[in-house]
Amino acid sequence: MKKTTKNIVSASVAAVMMGGASLAHAADSVNVAFFLEWATPNQIAKVDKTYDDAMGVDVKWTNFSTGVQMTEAMLAGDIDIAYSQGLAPFVTAVQQGAPIKMVSVAVIYEANDCFVKNGLGINSSNASELEGKTVAVPLNTMADFAFRKYMQVLNVDTSTMKIVDQAPADGAVSLAEGSVDMACIFGGDSAKKAGEVGAPIMSSQQKRDAGIGSFDVVSVTEKFATENPGLLRTFLEVTHESNASWTASDAQLKKVAADAGMDVSTTKNQMSGFIFPTAAEQKEQFFGSDGVAVAAAESLGLVFKKAGAWNVDQKIGKVITGEYLD
Amino acid sequence: MLDWLSDNRALVAAVIILCLVSSFFASIFYGLKQTRLREKDQVFGDPERTVGGWFWAVCGVSTLLLVWFYFSWGSARAFFPQAANELCQVAKLHEAVSPVTSSLAIESRYSKSKTLLVRNSRQLDELQARLPANVFSPADAARVTLVMQNTQQLISMMATPDFVDQKTIAEIQAIKAGYAAITNELANPKLGWTAAADALAQPSWGITEPEIPLLPVSAKGAMYDALARDAAAISKDYLKIRNLAPAAKALIAETKAMIAALKKSPSTDDGDPQIVKERADYMKAVDRIFKRIDDGKIFPAEVMAEMQVAVQTMLDQAERSKGSLGIVEMLFFPAGDIVKSRTQCTEQGPGRWLPKPTDVVATFFALANPDVENGGGYKGTTLLWWKWLPISDVVSFVIPDALIDFLPGDYGRLNDDGRFEPNYKDWMLALAQGDVYLGAVPMLDGHIWDSLFRVLVAMFFGVLLGVPLGIYMGVSRFCKSFFDPMIELYRPVPPLAWAPLILTIFGIQDDGKIFLLFMVAFAIMVISARTGATGAQLSKIRASHSLGANDRQILRYVILPNALPEIMTGIRISIGVCWGTLVAAEMLAGTTGVGFIENVARTVSDYELIWVTILIMGSLGLIFDLMMRWVIGRLIPWRGKG
Repeated sequence: MKKTTKNIVSASVAAVMMGGASLAHAADSVNVAFFLEWATPNQIAKVDKTYDDAMGVDVKWTNFSTGVQMTEAMLAGDIDIAYSQGLAPFVTAVQQGAPIKMVSVAVIYEANDCFVKNGLGINSSNASELEGKTVAVPLNTMADFAFRKYMQVLNVDTSTMKIVDQAPADGAVSLAEGSVDMACIFGGDSAKKAGEVGAPIMSSQQKRDAGIGSFDVVSVTEKFATENPGLLRTFLEVTHESNASWTASDAQLKKVAADAGMDVSTTKNQMSGFIFPTAAEQKEQFFGSDGVAVAAAESLGLVFKKAGAWNVDQKIGKVITGEYLD
Repeated sequence: MLDWLSDNRALVAAVIILCLVSSFFASIFYGLKQTRLREKDQVFGDPERTVGGWFWAVCGVSTLLLVWFYFSWGSARAFFPQAANELCQVAKLHEAVSPVTSSLAIESRYSKSKTLLVRNSRQLDELQARLPANVFSPADAARVTLVMQNTQQLISMMATPDFVDQKTIAEIQAIKAGYAAITNELANPKLGWTAAADALAQPSWGITEPEIPLLPVSAKGAMYDALARDAAAISKDYLKIRNLAPAAKALIAETKAMIAALKKSPSTDDGDPQIVKERADYMKAVDRIFKRIDDGKIFPAEVMAEMQVAVQTMLDQAERSKGSLGIVEMLFFPAGDIVKSRTQCTEQGPGRWLPKPTDVVATFFALANPDVENGGGYKGTTLLWWKWLPISDVVSFVIPDALIDFLPGDYGRLNDDGRFEPNYKDWMLALAQGDVYLGAVPMLDGHIWDSLFRVLVAMFFGVLLGVPLGIYMGVSRFCKSFFDPMIELYRPVPPLAWAPLILTIFGIQDDGKIFLLFMVAFAIMVISARTGATGAQLSKIRASHSLGANDRQILRYVILPNALPEIMTGIRISIGVCWGTLVAAEMLAGTTGVGFIENVARTVSDYELIWVTILIMGSLGLIFDLMMRWVIGRLIPWRGKG
């Protein structure tokens, strides 16, 4: 009775406050969040409905433009699995107490670049000249994380810089226009534009040597993971199968490009920088006893930790698990 | 003092809520009395009827704050500071049984057994119907069909009571007994549950980052916590149960072997890769369904029904045993739940996205602390403070550097003895670049000031240029027809649409943001001034004309005073819209400003910070509006009386 009353109260309140209560989705479907313009081999399985066949349920895909929105949708109960959420939004969400967990690595890619304006004559050897300069950074993203890592490695004091919060597309424009001296960029198109007028502060090799890399995660709500471990396992299995059968053939590229909303050449270009680790590799490298996943999440958590926040480094490991990879 | 208030925010909130409730009722009482008093001597529609009435403002503000306290669960925390912790323990119990409840028809209409059975049977039928013709040899095709029949048989075996193994029955019985024991403990709680010392040492609800303390701090909570652990152990046992009678086991082994054999020996047309692939795909689909059944939990309906009763009874009892806590939850935790996740308990619902008023105030004070080095301000800038502004900065802002290049002579060079002697041109450059000390003046500083500055400058130019143009458009045919298309074309375009252009044209400094706001203010000022000017009564203009006034005097003494009310309303509207556009403007290249704080807070879902910025912008808008109302009252007392 109490529960009923409470439900009535909450239903009417939700209806009033949000203009319609969010309906609990049917148990026979799984809702997955993904990014447009972020090409991954499992989009073939998505288009061919391999997921639906393998999991035996309807898999509904919804596209998002940021990882933060994915978290919000997961908290609202509209999304069960977020495929390829950035590590940064995942960690900040966990820091804010969101009941989600990381169950797999979606894609490993080179850390986002920071482009120094051509003509300044600054590269990794004289990076300290960046002190006092203006930098465009999309705050609290993987590009922000990469920026702070570069500056740490290159021994540049970021507190002397003027940091401007700009979306990648805006940052590329400002770099071209000359109002910023360096712009940290993610996304293929913006990076291409920034590359026209600037050069990355660290080369791919230097980044590898310094151990600066990025990866996107597969995150799920705690509720979905406890209640449907079987479905989750199958989802990851199908994902890894489509990764394994990826040969970058023209037919495959065409299919992925169409689904990702890009042309074939951009897709090809983007995917050439992606690594899709197998389940075995993930368990060994990322989710082992001293796995990369926890270490990366911890160091990222420390970068974005707000003053007085809880001790991220001790707890974030608990929401990172490779148990569904079998 | 502030620390004490911050640590005792539940208590503070309780006092505030009581004050609000009493002011709410007192204002209604007083207001009704006043209404009765004046009822007789005022006509409906008389503007005098709306004059005064501060008590209704008090009533309105109290209502708003009370609603905020209520829906943010602030009143729950104020009066029942332990409730969230206890509900967290109950949530632990729900979390512990969730693997079991999700397989029963408790939170869904059908049990998982049923959906699994129906869904897979249907898929088997579909698969059988589309058995490809030329891919399998007749013998293989028969074997594939047999595999599918076996799978179907396995499903029915699992779902039939006759085939259930005695061992499985015993295991289910044990689980039911476990739940019954928990139900019993819930119904007749043992006395002497106590909170552990480390639990009592936890900070209370809402003080630190994991909002709700995880360990039980009350006797009731301790009981739920302990029972949740028992329930978790039972869930683990349940997940281990497999409904496999000896007959089913044999069938599984046989089918597995058949699938393996079929996968291995493609006996027809190995040469054609298309056929090989089709065959592999089909076998994969068959294998998947078989594996799902093999791993899945299908039980006969009666067995599930008994389990369901046991679990439901326990959950009902858990609900009943909450006692007063249940009532508190129903009344004070509207529209959401306390949810236990892996590492913490969190508020989900309005408690999450609508921070409690006291927390917002605490965040505001942390932000307003001018001591940037010790965690005050935001991203290295204070909220609103003052600083010494070097006069040279202002000078350098006014004099463009390039101007110095045009001065005669060359810049200084290095001497032969390796020193640098600046000449006059170097000094001038230093002046233009602000490198000379010319003294300093105190100046406001901080995020709020930066936003305010942008809005005020934009408004200044908007009024300065918009009002004359609007008035001339109201009195001159040329101005009206010439400017009308331009203004009307750009006015309806939302400010955000201009944003990408602004960045390319103006760069990342303040001028771009100001220009964006100016465009908003300008259009509104033109329209309102024009409407005001055209609204002047013809009879007044004719009267002054016949009394000998020239054009200038008509404009100054007739049209302008008539347009003033519209212009003032225009200013009020455009200030509001400017604040609205500010968030977009500061998104372009955020360095400081209230909109910048909001943009960054959004990327980490920091709701307290978001609400602080919303309230800052709201109150600044309100203050401006109050000032404008005062100015209007002073400047145009004839408004509404002409």
